[in-house]
Amino acid sequence: MPDGQLPVLDVRDLKTVFRTRRGEVHAVNSVSFDLKPGELLGVVGESGSGKSVTMMSLIGLLPSPPAEVRDGQVLFGDNDLLKADEDTLRAIRGARIGFVFQDPMTSLNPVFTVGYQLMEPLRKHMGLNKKAARARAQELLELVGIPDAGRRLKDYPHQFSGGMRQRVMIAIALACDPEVLIADEPTTALDVTIQAQILELVKELRQKLGMAIVWITHDLGVIAGIADRVMVMYGGQIVEHAPVKELFGNPQHPYTRALLGTVPAMHGTREARLRVIEGQPPVLDAPPAACPFRARCTHSFERCERENPPRIPVGPLHDAACFWNPATGGPRDA
Amino acid sequence: MPDGTPPNKLVEVYDLKMHFPIYGGVLRRRVGEVKAVDGVSFDIHEGETLGLVGESGCGKSTCGRAVLRLYEVTDGAVKIEGENIADWSAEHLRKVRPKMQMVFQDPQASLNPRMTVASIIGEPLDEHTRQSKKDKLNRVYHLMDAVGLNRDFANRYPHEFSGGQRQRIGIARALALNPRFIVCDEPIAALDVSIQAQVVNLLEDLQEEFGLTYLFISHDLSMVRHIADRVAVMYLGKIVELAPRDALYDSPLHPYTQALLSAVPEPDPSLEARTERIILKGDVPSPANPPKGCNFCTRCPQVMDICRQTEPEYREVAPGHFTACHLQDGQPQQQQQQQATDAGQPAPAQRQEQSQQGEDT
Ligand SMILES: Nc1ncnc2c1ncn2[C@@H]1O[C@H](COP(=O)(O)OP(=O)(O)OP(=O)(O)O)[C@@H](O)[C@H]1O
Ligand SMILES: Nc1ncnc2c1ncn2[C@@H]1O[C@H](COP(=O)(O)OP(=O)(O)O)[C@@H](O)[C@H]1O
Ligand code: SF4
Ligand code: SF4
Ligand SMILES: [Mg+2]
Ligand SMILES: [Mg+2]
Repeated sequence: MPDGQLPVLDVRDLKTVFRTRRGEVHAVNSVSFDLKPGELLGVVGESGSGKSVTMMSLIGLLPSPPAEVRDGQVLFGDNDLLKADEDTLRAIRGARIGFVFQDPMTSLNPVFTVGYQLMEPLRKHMGLNKKAARARAQELLELVGIPDAGRRLKDYPHQFSGGMRQRVMIAIALACDPEVLIADEPTTALDVTIQAQILELVKELRQKLGMAIVWITHDLGVIAGIADRVMVMYGGQIVEHAPVKELFGNPQHPYTRALLGTVPAMHGTREARLRVIEGQPPVLDAPPAACPFRARCTHSFERCERENPPRIPVGPLHDAACFWNPATGGPRDA
Repeated sequence: MPDGTPPNKLVEVYDLKMHFPIYGGVLRRRVGEVKAVDGVSFDIHEGETLGLVGESGCGKSTCGRAVLRLYEVTDGAVKIEGENIADWSAEHLRKVRPKMQMVFQDPQASLNPRMTVASIIGEPLDEHTRQSKKDKLNRVYHLMDAVGLNRDFANRYPHEFSGGQRQRIGIARALALNPRFIVCDEPIAALDVSIQAQVVNLLEDLQEEFGLTYLFISHDLSMVRHIADRVAVMYLGKIVELAPRDALYDSPLHPYTQALLSAVPEPDPSLEARTERIILKGDVPSPANPPKGCNFCTRCPQVMDICRQTEPEYREVAPGHFTACHLQDGQPQQQQQQQATDAGQPAPAQRQEQSQQGEDT
């Protein structure tokens, strides 16, 4: 994608904290990224790394308390979404920013027909009358590849399979022609052959509709197949960010490098033993004062204990939050 | 396994069926059945890992549980060391149960939250042995060492552990009575990628140390390629293909296996662009109402007329390579697997044809 284009979404220095009885959880620590028109930004990281909380923070979807978005800016058009009132947010959610979540059963309402759930945002946000909304709803179901769409509008969510429910969720998210689609692990609960169907659908829809997409997953394979650019999250921070080929071909952060090594190959040589990342993910009970990966890092040195590394530019459109330089095997000058 | 010596079959499964009744109507009468496992046959050799893969609901867990006779099976035979366990009395089963264990998918749900780690791991010892308290605790410590849990954690409760650690507790418990055979049902599915590798390495180390035999159930095809010696692919209650690992991954014969393998996304963008993906249409039919003929005929990209009429026979089409598909109808049936390999003449001509067919798909 051409650089220099104005972003549709610009997130700066986002910090989100949960206040719990056991103290604070610093779930998102100074996360910054932007999203260009039409691009697909992949977000990878293991569970608890802050992927979902980041995205929910953007559009005020976190319950407060316990959540508190403590700092940052989320620039979307003329608005800073973190300062916007609930009415503005409601008008943006579902209309200009669409969402798809991991488990379609929890986000579809079991007591309403799929047709109703598709038509509601069309009537509310686009002011369509019933007839026009129904026609558009049918069109949307056809768009996401559900056979016999006209008749299926009358069916309830439980009458669809897992893969079809996820298609319905995508149809709802696309209903009002959003500028941005945020998809949080939309295929994680699905089987691989159904996941392949959905990924194919998304590629197709991007060409047809051209919206910008944020795609969250913990599956490096999924990211490799669909993303233009990738952010790797660890311990509530972005630890590496690069165009997709660059990230997989020239990973710089020890976590990214280790993560790529733990996935066994489908072809070619089989390693006798899987490479592991020893240890456990960090406990996020305080603002980071050191590198969050240091306890598991095989390259850590004294500085990593004292300072939290900033995102250091390491190549064109490529940055890594690490003091170590894989090219020299020594510290990076920064 | 050393070449030449015929592998020792620890587990033999013949035409195993597990049908669950469906009740309906006001009278809750039996109105049908879910054919969760519908006639599967396979062996597991001593010391090997047999991978069992397939999509959600295809019958993997049911198959694993039926093999351990955690269900009253509908039909078929399961032999462990040559003895049919379907014939065993409850008393006899109780005695041999320790030899066969299971590790479950969700380490959270399978551990009693009110018991300490030591009592969870030691529970099978209480049930099946008469060791002294001291001997038991010693055994528990040894088991904790074996699975890489710090002995200091013995008096903690499951919720104080991470997912990977809880899975280690489950594995330690499964090992308590020196089992020979362990059914691992999606042991890593609930874990993070970086933790999955830790647990798989542990399972491999324990296999080597204690000579364990595994049935490794998973939907993670790349992990199965890593851990399994042979792999069985299930679809809608049946095994559609079973082969040595490399044969299955490099030249799959069944159209479902081919689609399944091609659907796995690879963490390599350059490879990703080159991969020809077979996208299957539609969903898996309900196991309560499987289609006539071949179970895969509703989604098979290569379906023929005969597939909608006649169920394909599951047979050995190359040495050790079994499949059920009418595309293989022209292939002569293999001799008994054992004879073919023992005699050292696995009909080279047939083999070539097979691998060519695998490659050009
Ligand atoms: N006790 C039961 N009563 C009725 N149906 C059952 C029962 N147990 C399993 N089934 C059905 O049998 C089929 C196979 O289930 P099974 O749990 O073996 O699948 P699986 O391959 O392990 O799937 P997954 O990958 O989701 O764990 C499914 O259709 C399931 O709904
Ligand atoms: N309601 C909550 N209360 C307290 N902590 C929470 C809550 N929701 C999420 N967290 C914490 O925030 C961190 C990030 O979580 P999340 O964004 O859901 O991770 P991911 O989506 O990357 O798996 C984790 O440490 C998680 O435990
Ligand atoms: S900053 Fe230090 S500890 Fe952190 S990833 Fe880099 S080398 Fe490892
Ligand atoms: S028997 Fe027919 S439908 Fe079944 S897998 Fe083979 S070709 Fe496809
Ligand atoms: Mg999440
Ligand atoms: Mg299962």
